[in-house]
Amino acid sequence: MQILLFLLAGLLLAVPATADDAIPSYLAQLQRQARELRLAEQREWHLLLHYRADLLGGSTSEQDDPGFFLSPNGKTDPQTELDATLAGFFSDELVGRSKQPAQCAFVARYAWLKGQLGFDEARLKPLTCDRFDGWFAGFDAEAVTLIFPSAYMNNPASMFGHTFLRIDQRGQTPQTRILAYTINFAADVPQGEGLAYPVRGIFGGYSGYFSTIPYYLKVQEYRDIENRDIWEYRLNFDVGQIRRLLMHAWELGNASFDYFFFKENCSYHLLALLEYADPSLHLTEHFRFWTVPADTVRLLAGQPGLVHDIAFRPSRVTVIRRKRERLSASEQRVVKRLVRDASAGQSAEVKSLPLARQAFLLDVASDYVRYKGDRDEDHAADYRAHNRQLLTTRSQLRIPSEDLAIRPFSLQPESGHRTSRASLGGGWRNNDTFEEITVRAAYHDLLDPEPGYTPDAQIEVGSLSLRHYNRAEQTRVERATLINVLSLSPIDGLFRAPSWKLNLGMQTITHRGCELCSNWSANGGIGASAETHLLRREVFFAFAEVEGSYSRAYDERHRVGGGASVGFYADLTERWRLLASTGYLRYALGDQSDDMRWSVGQRYSLAQNWALRLEYSHRDHDNDVLFTVQAFF
Amino acid sequence: MLKTLVVALGTMAVISQAGLVLAANPDTGPGCGLGKLAWADFKNQKNIAPQVMMVTTNATGMNTFAISSGTSGCTNDGQVWASEKAHVFAVINFENLSEEMAQGKGEHLASLASLMRIPEAQHGAFFALTQERYSTFLQEGETSSVALVKALNEAIAENPVLAQAVAR
Repeated sequence: MQILLFLLAGLLLAVPATADDAIPSYLAQLQRQARELRLAEQREWHLLLHYRADLLGGSTSEQDDPGFFLSPNGKTDPQTELDATLAGFFSDELVGRSKQPAQCAFVARYAWLKGQLGFDEARLKPLTCDRFDGWFAGFDAEAVTLIFPSAYMNNPASMFGHTFLRIDQRGQTPQTRILAYTINFAADVPQGEGLAYPVRGIFGGYSGYFSTIPYYLKVQEYRDIENRDIWEYRLNFDVGQIRRLLMHAWELGNASFDYFFFKENCSYHLLALLEYADPSLHLTEHFRFWTVPADTVRLLAGQPGLVHDIAFRPSRVTVIRRKRERLSASEQRVVKRLVRDASAGQSAEVKSLPLARQAFLLDVASDYVRYKGDRDEDHAADYRAHNRQLLTTRSQLRIPSEDLAIRPFSLQPESGHRTSRASLGGGWRNNDTFEEITVRAAYHDLLDPEPGYTPDAQIEVGSLSLRHYNRAEQTRVERATLINVLSLSPIDGLFRAPSWKLNLGMQTITHRGCELCSNWSANGGIGASAETHLLRREVFFAFAEVEGSYSRAYDERHRVGGGASVGFYADLTERWRLLASTGYLRYALGDQSDDMRWSVGQRYSLAQNWALRLEYSHRDHDNDVLFTVQAFF
Repeated sequence: MLKTLVVALGTMAVISQAGLVLAANPDTGPGCGLGKLAWADFKNQKNIAPQVMMVTTNATGMNTFAISSGTSGCTNDGQVWASEKAHVFAVINFENLSEEMAQGKGEHLASLASLMRIPEAQHGAFFALTQERYSTFLQEGETSSVALVKALNEAIAENPVLAQAVAR
């Protein structure tokens, strides 16, 4: 009998030792322990799974690929997902888009839960993750740098910007930095999307993915092809934080996010990644309605001690323009000859110059010919051959080109004003006085303080002005702007691009006895501009334009016509700018009439986010004087 | 940023096009084969920029550098195969390299030198070499990036200072 009992007891003790039953019991123990510690409620878990508080008081993950979760309910249930994750760690079944065992597909989740619960390696066997280890070693990471390509000329829409991370490799120098990998989040847009593109882009119709495009490809894209200056912000991350960042980035290989152009975009998801790397950072919560990449740069640059080195990488155009400043008038003529005719490199005029000057002129000419070739598809092969000939001549001068420090034309983006603007003011209109409040969602106009913004470009989106007229005792929407874009490209000996503008919005007019009448209009123009440096910098512009308007003030409620406008702006001091313009339009369709307008505005910057304005405008039968205080927020 | 996106994706599509060409000629060489890609294959693209502007990508383009995406073409989990790094770099940056070789310096040239394991102290000698034999290297590069890297390696082997530095 005793023997029998012994045997029974032995069996009972032996049973848990066999694998099949040990797993469930140890798993259950870990799951119980995790509940006791309330791990599923912790910020770390929510950062790992990209949970956000939803409207119903629960949590929903912003991530949209089912393979990113181990539970079918993972997207909305952090606790169930945590239970399933622990279960997944006991299995070598391949999961997620990356097709690895859960321990390897989700290395950051595994590391955190292991640390929190103290996994017993005898009962939960750790797997080796060769793919992750090789990938991690491939970075040989030393530092993380945030990259911000600024807007490019003649496309104010690019002011919205883009950001990505660069993983700086140990032993790289500024000269070999382009070999580093980046971590980039972008939407996957199928071919031939056409007009569906903006619509689907805004409403989350595309999926976005993380990738590690080599930095040299991104530099080529932004600096050489799009001609955008690049700003690089080295972040103060320690070894542990860099490891966390890469571990989570590896997990994000399994993720896809519905791409929302305005909010959940490239910059937003980078912030989420940075938050995971350093959980003391609270970044994404600053962006409720939209995430403007330049704002994320301002936010990061404003975190105490986070950014410790800022570098500037000039675009090809910036290089050409800065180099040109170092040319004498006769040298400029030589460069123009070289651009027309590569054999001029062998001419006596060139050969008589000092060697270093010859090299410099050939380099400027080569830069410019390359720039032209990149923009003129039909003659690209000719430009290429031309450039080869210049370069061959250049190679015969056996000296290296000198190092030049290229200064930017605009300050770094975080020195700029914030994106949204509120204005409060008052003034006179004809025989009445008024008070006015204006809120503009984004972004920048020609009179706004320029530091940090691309010069000569304006893009305003979503602006609304409310005005109260004291004598008329009327409060009304005075102006509304859907979009107002203006791009000036000063023409000079080397660069000739058209200037253009587009404005959709509503104004208040007086016309044919209709006082304070709403007028909806669409206006577009194309023209040219030029700059001078008499005081500091002045830009003059002229446009041919067309306009269509709708208002009950008009016969047949509309008028369509065309005309011209000219204007200029001048920086009188560093803080004080003057902008004046005048135009004449004649309307041939609908209400046959004409319109003579002119305006003079001045802005004085008080601080980075504060400015004063005094504006006078005359239009048709209206005279309007407006004084405002403006705050950017 | 719409345009940014299009261009970003377009850049990748150019890369993936290279992959497609290779898929059609599977026996063009070792590794990912991109290095064997002849510049002739790009001739119908008058240059890369307008192409990049026009082309939008498909899913294969994203895959090239997608994180933890396994093996595809020239990359493994989104990173370029070690053995192909110099070739991939040379084929993508050939325009910049051809400028910098003539100018006797530059970051693309320095980066290629470091991928070819030339110590930094010898970069100056390497730059001078590329400037001196510019026409030869340009010709090789027009053929293929593999030919360019091979010609550079041969020139290094003939140069006592560089040969010694690389061997070390």
